[in-house]
Amino acid sequence: MHGSPSRNGVRLWPLLVALLATGAPALAHHSFAVHFVADRLIKVSGTVDEFTFRNPHGVVMLTAKGEDGSAELWKIETNSPNILRRRGWTETSIKPGDAVTVEGYPARDGSNFMRVYRVIYADGHELVGQRPDPNVVSGDD
Amino acid sequence: MGCLGTLLAVSAAPAAAQPHLEGFWAAKLEQTRSGQALIDELPESAVLINDTGAGELAAGDFDGLTLTPAAIEEVRNYDFADELKRESTCNAPSVAFFMQAPFPMEVYQSAELVVFKMEYYDLYRVVFLDGREHPQAAAPHSRSGHSTGRWEGDTLVVDTTHISSGTFMNNGFNHSEDLHMVERFRLSPDGSSLWLTQMYDDPKVFSGLAARYMAWTRRPGEYVYPYDCDPSYGN
Repeated sequence: MHGSPSRNGVRLWPLLVALLATGAPALAHHSFAVHFVADRLIKVSGTVDEFTFRNPHGVVMLTAKGEDGSAELWKIETNSPNILRRRGWTETSIKPGDAVTVEGYPARDGSNFMRVYRVIYADGHELVGQRPDPNVVSGDD
Repeated sequence: MGCLGTLLAVSAAPAAAQPHLEGFWAAKLEQTRSGQALIDELPESAVLINDTGAGELAAGDFDGLTLTPAAIEEVRNYDFADELKRESTCNAPSVAFFMQAPFPMEVYQSAELVVFKMEYYDLYRVVFLDGREHPQAAAPHSRSGHSTGRWEGDTLVVDTTHISSGTFMNNGFNHSEDLHMVERFRLSPDGSSLWLTQMYDDPKVFSGLAARYMAWTRRPGEYVYPYDCDPSYGN
């Protein structure tokens, strides 16, 4: 029998018609400017749990020590790996177990989430992601 | 077609030797716009959006553009937290936004076609130079839309319709399916840079005209990498 689609007995045509009439809001891939503070840098030190290097962003999962000594888990995103490959980064640039300090742009919502400016190793070498630039609000995607 | 259609109703200059657009082009993040001459050809009333390349507009900043009440309402209801979800991660923008991203592209060119292979989200565009018309209004829309083009002297003029609704300013402000875009591509005199202005008309979401400028540097021997977006980045 043809009729209105339903779920748990609730007729969905009115909702479907409303969506078609107004258009469902188009969700974007996230903006840097909306989610991160571009003109402030923070530093977090800890041990790398995982590093993934796939578009749209590489991700470093890092365990740091909080002010009270407890473990804090951070999600730290990089620019697009395609951008960084052209600067010499690879899938193995950062490895689980690496002890690093990450300097980057904090999330606006205050969560343990940031965008990388640079990853600094104890021997002095560093990997540079998104450089601070006073002339632009954001950058590099 | 709106006011852009009127602007297009100018006679095209006869095609001379066509500029050579083919090659690998890297996005150029300029402090001073080398293609200012192309910007100067935009209508004075067009609002130039300053978010190209490395720039982005913050939430609530529409660069002076006047939004319609419906667009203001949509922005008000936009949930930025949803952008960080897995299902949003690989949602590519439309041609009204993806050309300005700081990624390279390859251009292929013949007398009847210009093809853009974009690195960003593995997108591509086809511009028909064979004189065909756009399809009927109800035809399917897509991220790249339907593009027809012609040469006006040294400038490739591209008219695009049938663009799926999507990101316009990456701050919750989206364009509608009615967006009409006219682009002007031109090489710098030495051929090392490619300049582009995009001009938009979308009365459903903003009044008047809006525009963007972007530029690329030619880099022989390089090529576009695969993007292969991975949604697992999202929460």
